[in-house]
Amino acid sequence: MAAEPAWQRLLAQPWLWSYLAAASVWAATIAFTQGQGGGQVLTAAFTFAAFFVIVGIGQMFVVTLGPGNVDLSIPATMTLAGTLAMRIMDGHEALILPGLALALGCGVVIGAINYGLIRALRIPPIIATLSSSFLIQSTAIWYNRGIRIKPPPALAEFATAQVAGVPVLAVGVILLTVLMHVLLTRTRYGRAVLAIGQNQRAAGLAGIPVDRIRLGTYMLCATLAGLCGYVQAGFAGGAALNMGEEYLLASIAVVVIGGTSVAGGNANVPGLWGAALFLFLLVTMLNTFGLGAGIRLVMTGIIIIAVIIAASGRQRAR
Amino acid sequence: MKKLVIAAIALGGTVAAGAAVADTSAKKIALSNNYAGNSWRQAMLESWQKVTSKAVSDGVVAAADAFTTAENQATEQAAQIQNLILQGYDAIVLNAASPTALNGAVKEACDAGITVVSFDGVVKEPCAWRIAVDFKQMGKDEVTYVAQKMPNGGNLLEIRGLAGVFVDDEISAGIHEGVAENAQFKIVGSVHGDWAQDVAQKAVAGILPSLPEIAAVVTQGGDGYGAAQAFKAAGRPTPLIIMGNRQDELAWWQEQKDANGYETMSVSIAPGVSTLAFWVAQAILDGKEVPKDLVVPFLRIDQDTLAESLKTTPVGGVANVEYSQADAQKVIEGAQ
Repeated sequence: MAAEPAWQRLLAQPWLWSYLAAASVWAATIAFTQGQGGGQVLTAAFTFAAFFVIVGIGQMFVVTLGPGNVDLSIPATMTLAGTLAMRIMDGHEALILPGLALALGCGVVIGAINYGLIRALRIPPIIATLSSSFLIQSTAIWYNRGIRIKPPPALAEFATAQVAGVPVLAVGVILLTVLMHVLLTRTRYGRAVLAIGQNQRAAGLAGIPVDRIRLGTYMLCATLAGLCGYVQAGFAGGAALNMGEEYLLASIAVVVIGGTSVAGGNANVPGLWGAALFLFLLVTMLNTFGLGAGIRLVMTGIIIIAVIIAASGRQRAR
Repeated sequence: MKKLVIAAIALGGTVAAGAAVADTSAKKIALSNNYAGNSWRQAMLESWQKVTSKAVSDGVVAAADAFTTAENQATEQAAQIQNLILQGYDAIVLNAASPTALNGAVKEACDAGITVVSFDGVVKEPCAWRIAVDFKQMGKDEVTYVAQKMPNGGNLLEIRGLAGVFVDDEISAGIHEGVAENAQFKIVGSVHGDWAQDVAQKAVAGILPSLPEIAAVVTQGGDGYGAAQAFKAAGRPTPLIIMGNRQDELAWWQEQKDANGYETMSVSIAPGVSTLAFWVAQAILDGKEVPKDLVVPFLRIDQDTLAESLKTTPVGGVANVEYSQADAQKVIEGAQ
């Protein structure tokens, strides 16, 4: 590795492809509009990509635990955390922090339940989290009955604030991403997650508390989903029962496009941002081109597959 | 005032239909519903609960139970319909997950002598009744309204619903038909908002920087508030945005109206259409002659009815109307 020139090391980075894809899609959009609105498109992209990144981080940690690990309850968790928090706050600014604590706490509990199903009842994660998501979504429906309650004004202002075209929320999420990168690469916890993903049995024999680490990871993922539900409800002017719908596929897509190995044991935090920006800019580009819905969906599929092949091709070459 | 009139009609209807009470008092009606995950469906179920529980306690029918499938899938709903047949219901009121995939199960129900009335999500199976909305007309009406407000025309942004769904195609076809008749308008952008405020907000925020000035936004309901937020965030002047009867949309409209005299209109189907389907099923069980295809009117809110509608719509809910036996009678007669 050390003997390779710098540019070869750069090319070998799995996150590179998601950024390249995002940049070229953005360039294509701007070329089509002849330079109009390039900056504003980027502002919008960073705003909306931030939400994808929040849930993407959690999903990435879970996927890294190894084959079969995935959290499908993210959309339901977002919905429940968002509705609970909005309803408790009921527009009162004094309750913004308790509301946040409630949303996060909601995630902690759901994460623990998810892992309880997986470990105690020996249900595969994909089925355990899918079935728990029905319970969570039904709880949200029962509790909220489709009513959309507005967030406190200060929360809405914070979630939508911009300083010189830079969304404040995105800056916050970038800081969160840096923190999570450190957590993954520089702490015992992060190392343990990677080790379990590479070989769970070996990790266990090496003295890593496998159960505790996996439990913590599912809790982390659900907590981040709760956080995402909270800020998303603040941003969109209230929690709706279908607010999490598109986050199921998106949370997995940003992980995979971002260069994290689906087989586990190899994670990549910086790639999440590239992938999230790419997903938003791709839809924007196809919308701007004015293509029909059918072609748009087909193009989305083809381009995502192409980017994943390109990224995994690099990894093999390494 | 309007409520009073409706109440009076309802009362008259019950008295006039007095003879029918005896005939269906032993009949059981089931609601088969494929989805409950948004405010429109929640209001639909609530209306059903409210109107049918009164009908049951009045002895008009013996039972009117609502069943919702967990996953919004046709296979699951087909199994549900088969269960309802075995449970011995006399009529099934159906909001279908698919216009064709349930045909087999619906046919089985008909063969078992069960009356099937589909509404909103209607089924193609000929033995079932259909209470449909003229979605195409709804789209066309939007453009007609915009053309009245802006005779000089301008650029339109179209927000569509969920790609691949019948309703989305119909409304959009109506909008394009309207634009073809009003050549002074041009659709300069089209995005899918999935009938959800946050999805619409995201899609509009993405395409807006690349668009010229927008005169009006034509929508499908559930997306108007999100579009307004996106225009505000981009620092662009607020165009005329057609609303879709959601409370947050109406509240936003009222706010703008008070602040700067903002004018628009709002149109959608009332979730209470489930209660119309209930009364139609009851009429069929009662032996009345009912045509297979019925059309339900839209619920439209204009500048002068805004304040009243906003008052009667629950915070965060959808503007709604519940139908009476007499209303159903009127719809049936209108189709004959």
